[in-house]
Amino acid sequence: MRVVLAVALAVGLGALALDMSRAAPRTAGSNHVSPAVFAAVVPARGELCEPLPPLPSDAARAQLLIGTYGPPVPALSLRYLDASGAIVASGQLTAGVPQGVVSVPLHRVAAGSATRACLRVGGSVSKIALGGEAGAINAGSEYVNGKQQPGLVSIVYQRAGSESWWELLPTLAGRFGLGKASVLGDWALLAAALALAAVWVGAVRLLLRELT
Amino acid sequence: MSAVDETGGAGAAAGQSALAGARAGAGSLWRRTLEAVRRIPRAGRACFVIAFVNVAIWGIVVPPFQVPDEIAHFGYAQYVAETGKPPPQGPVAQYSPQEQSALESLYFFSVIGRPQMRGILTGAEDRALRQTLATGQSPIGQGGASSVTDQPPLYYALEAIPYWLSPSHEILTRLALMRLLSALMAALTVLCVFMFLRELLPNWRWAWTVGALAVAFQPTFDFIAAGVQGDNLLFLTASLTILLLTRAYRRGLTTGRAVGIGAVVAAGTLSKLTFIALLPGIALAIVLLAWRAMPDGRARALKAFAIAVVVAAAPVLLYALLNVTVWHRGSPTAGGVAGATNSALPGGGVITLRQTLDYTWELYLPRLWFMHHSYFNSSPLETIWLPGVVGHFGWLDYTFPLWVYTAFRDLAVALIVLALIAAVRLRAAIRPLLPILVCFATMAIGLLGAIGYAGIRYQLSNGTQFQQGRYLFPLVAFYALFLVAAARGVGRRWAPALGAALVVIAMLHGLFAETLTISRYYG
Repeated sequence: MRVVLAVALAVGLGALALDMSRAAPRTAGSNHVSPAVFAAVVPARGELCEPLPPLPSDAARAQLLIGTYGPPVPALSLRYLDASGAIVASGQLTAGVPQGVVSVPLHRVAAGSATRACLRVGGSVSKIALGGEAGAINAGSEYVNGKQQPGLVSIVYQRAGSESWWELLPTLAGRFGLGKASVLGDWALLAAALALAAVWVGAVRLLLRELT
Repeated sequence: MSAVDETGGAGAAAGQSALAGARAGAGSLWRRTLEAVRRIPRAGRACFVIAFVNVAIWGIVVPPFQVPDEIAHFGYAQYVAETGKPPPQGPVAQYSPQEQSALESLYFFSVIGRPQMRGILTGAEDRALRQTLATGQSPIGQGGASSVTDQPPLYYALEAIPYWLSPSHEILTRLALMRLLSALMAALTVLCVFMFLRELLPNWRWAWTVGALAVAFQPTFDFIAAGVQGDNLLFLTASLTILLLTRAYRRGLTTGRAVGIGAVVAAGTLSKLTFIALLPGIALAIVLLAWRAMPDGRARALKAFAIAVVVAAAPVLLYALLNVTVWHRGSPTAGGVAGATNSALPGGGVITLRQTLDYTWELYLPRLWFMHHSYFNSSPLETIWLPGVVGHFGWLDYTFPLWVYTAFRDLAVALIVLALIAAVRLRAAIRPLLPILVCFATMAIGLLGAIGYAGIRYQLSNGTQFQQGRYLFPLVAFYALFLVAAARGVGRRWAPALGAALVVIAMLHGLFAETLTISRYYG
């Protein structure tokens, strides 16, 4: 019995350790709009602007879903502006990447809180379509060349570098306490892991006592 | 002394006497409860604690409202807690302003169904949420019709208790405490499974712990138990019913056991209308129990039978009466039965009995040659039930890698073969249990039939699939029985070892489901 339990636990926990050593995703956040449909069409040399929730502090790239109707994606310029119109962060992408999910590197240029993002499209194609969500025109809708349109474009932020799940644990712990009962904090993930370990110890001891 | 003084004195004396009586009654109830707890084997109590802590952990891992339909279940419970009555339903707002603003601030509607989307990931978003919650939006909604408002109110009335007891009026703190009640219900379900196996298989001591722990670590069961979800009381009452029927079969139908069975059946029916599907099997079992009690006294047996029926029926009839007369919820079942049994299709036409039977058959078994219509592109066993039980989490928006389901399918086939071997080997021991097993089979067929009956109506009306693996969990006690029977299939000597291995597989299955959940919402 002890051998069965020891082998099964060792195999399982070994698999977990290996799994945790894989590269973890680089998500930093998003504007909470999914790329469900093509929600905006921007002509060559046009500009799309839309309001934003806070830009994550660790955002190093912005991902957009772009359709070009065939040709490579034109040059893109992405700017994040605060309420006064000052640039907080910006990014450039040179022309030539294939259409699909496109990643624009971001650079912080000033402290402050971005309230809207503006994307300027180069002139190598007649127009591009951007993935996002459709909807009625309201205060939170996008603007194309200064004209308000229904819908919002999806922007997903990525962190810089690469990490394994082990290395990502402190970040996970920080996120784990957010959006929950205020009594929970970044200690909650560690507490949950310790409680789960106690549950496992209890279960194994119970099996050894009752089954042998 | 004046008349007022005399009356007051007599009243005070009567009050003190009543208070003393109430204290004595409460003390007696507490003592009896403690004695009952002490009679539970230590291993059963340990399984209860393990299950409770494990599900409570799940309740922290899963973000608020990410358990299927949790927004609607919370909305119902909040309405009951704030107004003292079930929602009137109707075309008005489903959720309170407080819940609606919390859902929007959590980005709930952009997360569900979209596995690539996350909720709150940054401190700035969290601060914005706290600011919204601090605005003091009203917790009192209008009680508009939702996916659960046509259900009976027992689960929601119980959830009103932690809602009221919460030291904070913040909605997320209340939700966290309400989730703990669901965890308690899940732990009690695990205890029921333990006691059921003990009652059914008194000589297989190892099997009680193996079956209970296998359920305690079952990740789909845990995921549902992590949230404010009415199914949790359904699972508990169904498991408790199975336990009490087994106990009465083993030990005889006494008046006390009849009251217990009746009370639990009433609680089950008032927890979720799905419980009605179990009633034919339960009724058959009560008739069987009364018939077996006849040799000890016909009058006593009939009295116990009548008590079980009356105790079960009276609260349900009262609920039906209140729906029509006091709460004005439209019909005796508040539209719950009518909604699930409506055979008329939106575009015209009616679903026939034959269609229902064909659909229900195909839902579980291969289509036969005379069934003209194929309702499923591939076997529901492999596309609905097995993945649903192995794990289809969130608002059905994230799963394990495909190979995991293939591995569990192969394991399930092996366990079925082992369980059949055990059934053949132990047929002599099983024979005395056959009558109650037939009743349990009737309960199971009733549930499977009800899922099919409601499923074809939903699928043909809405064009989307209705079934989820969790719909089978009222039968979770039989899942545990199946696992221990499979373990016994390798013979008496090795059965505990295989049982222990199955529990460890369940533990690892649960652990990987939790890491999958963490990567889904926080990664």
